[in-house]
Amino acid sequence: MESQWLSLLDVTIDFDQSHLFFPRIVTWILVALLAIILITRYRLLVPGLKRAGRVLIGREGEFDHRRFFGTLALTTAYFYLMGVLSDVFPNTGYSFLIMSVLFVFLLSLLYVDRPTRRLFVILVLNALIAPTLAWYVLAQLFRITLP
Amino acid sequence: MDILSHLTPMFFALIAAGTSIGIIFGAIPGMTATMAVAVCLPLTYAFGLENGIALLLGLYVGGISGGMVPAVLINIPGTPSSITTTFDGYPMAKRGEGERALKIGIVASVFGGLFSAAVLFFFAPVLADFAIKFSYVEKFLIILLALTVIASLCSNMLMGVFSGVLGVWLSLIGTYSITEGGNGEPRLMFDFMQYYLIDGFSLLPVLIGIFGLTTVLLDAEKGFKDETGQGPISLKGGARFRFSVFKGQLLNLVRSSSIGTFVGILPGVGGSAASVLAYSQEKNFSRDSSQMGKGAPQGIVSSESSNNALTGGALVPLLSLGIPGDSTTAILIGAFTLQGIQVGPLFIGNNLDTWYLMIIALLAANVLMFGIMYFAIRHIAKVIEVPKYILYPLIIMMCVVGAYAINYGIMFDVWTLLIFGVFGWVAHKIGLETVPLIIGFILGKSAEVYFVKSLESYGNYSIFFTKSPIAMFLWVLIAVSLAFAIYLRVRNRRQAPVES
Amino acid sequence: MKAIWNKACLAVVVSAAIGVSASAQAADDCPLPGNLRVVIGSTSTGGDTYQNSSIVVDRLADKLDINAKVDAVGVMPGFQALERSRHGNTVMIFHDGAYLGNLYGVNGYPDIFSKFIVGPTIAINPGNAYLVPKDSPYQSMSDIIEAAGDGKQVKVAIQPGSVSEIGFSALKNAVRMKYPGKEGNIVAVNTGSQADKNQLLFDGAVDVINGSVQANEQYTQLPADDQKAMRFVWITAREKTIAETDEAGMGDTTREQLLQYVTPNVSVPMSADRDFTFDKEFFFLYNKDMDPAAIECIDDALAEIYDEGEIQQQQKRSFFVPDFKPSQEAASYLKEKNDQYQTIISDLNG
Repeated sequence: MESQWLSLLDVTIDFDQSHLFFPRIVTWILVALLAIILITRYRLLVPGLKRAGRVLIGREGEFDHRRFFGTLALTTAYFYLMGVLSDVFPNTGYSFLIMSVLFVFLLSLLYVDRPTRRLFVILVLNALIAPTLAWYVLAQLFRITLP
Repeated sequence: MDILSHLTPMFFALIAAGTSIGIIFGAIPGMTATMAVAVCLPLTYAFGLENGIALLLGLYVGGISGGMVPAVLINIPGTPSSITTTFDGYPMAKRGEGERALKIGIVASVFGGLFSAAVLFFFAPVLADFAIKFSYVEKFLIILLALTVIASLCSNMLMGVFSGVLGVWLSLIGTYSITEGGNGEPRLMFDFMQYYLIDGFSLLPVLIGIFGLTTVLLDAEKGFKDETGQGPISLKGGARFRFSVFKGQLLNLVRSSSIGTFVGILPGVGGSAASVLAYSQEKNFSRDSSQMGKGAPQGIVSSESSNNALTGGALVPLLSLGIPGDSTTAILIGAFTLQGIQVGPLFIGNNLDTWYLMIIALLAANVLMFGIMYFAIRHIAKVIEVPKYILYPLIIMMCVVGAYAINYGIMFDVWTLLIFGVFGWVAHKIGLETVPLIIGFILGKSAEVYFVKSLESYGNYSIFFTKSPIAMFLWVLIAVSLAFAIYLRVRNRRQAPVES
Repeated sequence: MKAIWNKACLAVVVSAAIGVSASAQAADDCPLPGNLRVVIGSTSTGGDTYQNSSIVVDRLADKLDINAKVDAVGVMPGFQALERSRHGNTVMIFHDGAYLGNLYGVNGYPDIFSKFIVGPTIAINPGNAYLVPKDSPYQSMSDIIEAAGDGKQVKVAIQPGSVSEIGFSALKNAVRMKYPGKEGNIVAVNTGSQADKNQLLFDGAVDVINGSVQANEQYTQLPADDQKAMRFVWITAREKTIAETDEAGMGDTTREQLLQYVTPNVSVPMSADRDFTFDKEFFFLYNKDMDPAAIECIDDALAEIYDEGEIQQQQKRSFFVPDFKPSQEAASYLKEKNDQYQTIISDLNG
């Protein structure tokens, strides 16, 4: 009797298909949980989405579009151009150095409210010194591969 | 014995240098202890075995300890194992107790480090024999146990569990890795993604994306209104550090250090599970856990003592089986093979001098770590006074270095950083919980391998219950851990109906 | 403030200048970049691929007077980096797994002979071995072949699709030749790291594991009553390869003892008159468009390094067998090796 019950739990996994076994289980659990969440909270969903939409286009709430999307755009450009430039200077880390100087400076500028002359100089110095230091220590001394 | 002849000033100088460099690596978001050991590995060839080991062990201990610094001060875990340090460390820093939180962490770290070094010294061979009792089945259950902590760490049970499962799901994207014994076939993605995602998303870029970049995005969205010219958080005010904070923490220290050591001993379970397990056990079993997550010293104590205890634990299988206990000790093996030293079950017996030197180095590294950090902390803590318009661009830059360097130069890892930075921001908005998610992500891959391999060998689900007494004991732990999490949740809800 | 400005600018200019001069080409006749990146097909910096590569690359960099860095990126990222690098800024070092993956049909493995240029071989890791528990009934490979022919199932722990599987395939093939239809009794238990393979043996879940002389030798020295004790049954290297290792062998196992586990003392037949052997060899891979002059340059530099004779000592100390073949010779040699193993694998599948 016992062995019959146990045989219900038998499972054979075909090695060629074994890559799907666990992901399937996890996907089903995920879908089930999502369904529960949607069922228990669907009343919150629609107004929530509406509000999110309005915030994103700037009709409502405190949302600093310039800084948020500026950060996203600068970061994307930083990563993209770093990749492109690293083909021009392969295996030297120059691409990282050049792009980081630009990125650190521009992002700092984006985050500052009232750039004074003094602050401007500090930002420029920071953007020049910090990436150069990082590049020198990491790429030259520790020989870490940089873009 | 010519062991004394190796204890030169150079030996200790290298430990000190290693510890300091390690702390710096650990303290920079994106850089980790593993990376510190990896970049210094080629140097050891020139130093010879004893001095090379001294340097690397210093780096290891320093790197793990340094991880608490950004966790406490800017809410970004410096290494995966310091995630739980952010829970109480950052709230304390916000109260102006950054320095106190760090000092608590340092004392806990040195306790954990010395505890595990002692365990390593006295029990290594015995523990290694115990560790090999853990087959795929038991290891899967350990991971399941670690996953149950999600129930006690999340703020909303349903969303927390969903986030955890989502984390597991995300970790499975890619191929079922051949090096783990899989069949190398892709899943959970479209064909065009295969070029980049063949090895899936790497942990470190995901982690620093979700914690680092997301933090930047969330602050950018708010516009940094209130803080041009000065830092967000002051270092003044709040309680000062006193050793009396450790009164009544002995049980916590010993329990957390034991958990850390033990997780380190089990190869393949993943070191980051240590602090998570220790933290949730403290939350479940301590007399008063109501303040945990809001800036309670006991949270930092459990997190930091356990992740430093990992160091000694992870060396147990390395030195008594020739098998690394975590990713950092996997690189340490290189130091031995580069010098032509075999690691395996006979290592300790064949290399007694080296073995004693390693213990001395480990002890010295912990003591030096304590000395360096305890007195430097006042200056390190000033980081939070740096204005964010300076700090944040640099954090992103260092995250790029970390993401790119973790797998020795892969550009897609940098994009992973961005993808998960944005994902983390969205998750925040829709109420997903990032900590359960990252725990799921960390443990997902091993959970798959151990689960599938158990079933492949035994062909029946019942094996998880009947394999061994250890398996049954682990089920008891899992049940207790879940029951406590639910009990605490219900009790807290009754006690604080107004807050919710 | 101005002074700081000037100093900062100066620092940047100076460091850039130093960098540029360092990245200038190595020598007039050598079209190699000043910063060469060597990717390897392993993510481990503690493994044999990394160790071997760093020995060779350090000397190569010295000889060519360039900077070179070994990056443990792993197989697929390695292939991808190689493919992108048309100008020879990146080269790869890998072992037989590079083509075995393709032969086993592992997802993502290209045919290296058509997609890349196969460069010089540099060394052999002679340690690929098979082990059984010390108290195992199997004393030799022929015991195992006989047992399988007798209808007994023999479970072997391997990592699929690579160096670890080829010996297993040869064993299966040997059973197929002697006892056609019985090869199904040799069963693969697919697993990952050496730790996982050892663990399966400790659990008693498998009868034989793939391992290596380096990683498993100490386990063979344990007393028989230890759960962890193992015994070698087969080392896949050629006899002449093992004969070239240091006389002291590895750990407490001398070369003399190691020789007992290679053909002809241990025989896993591949055809009627030949035993199967497998040497894990490390070699360079280049981008298809790499400048032939650069390839020649590396060949020449390596030839000089091996002529000096120091590198051999270093390799032997780390239990590698020096094995330098210049590009063209290496390419045809490896292609031949590839074809040989292809026959075994396709015989088993067909």
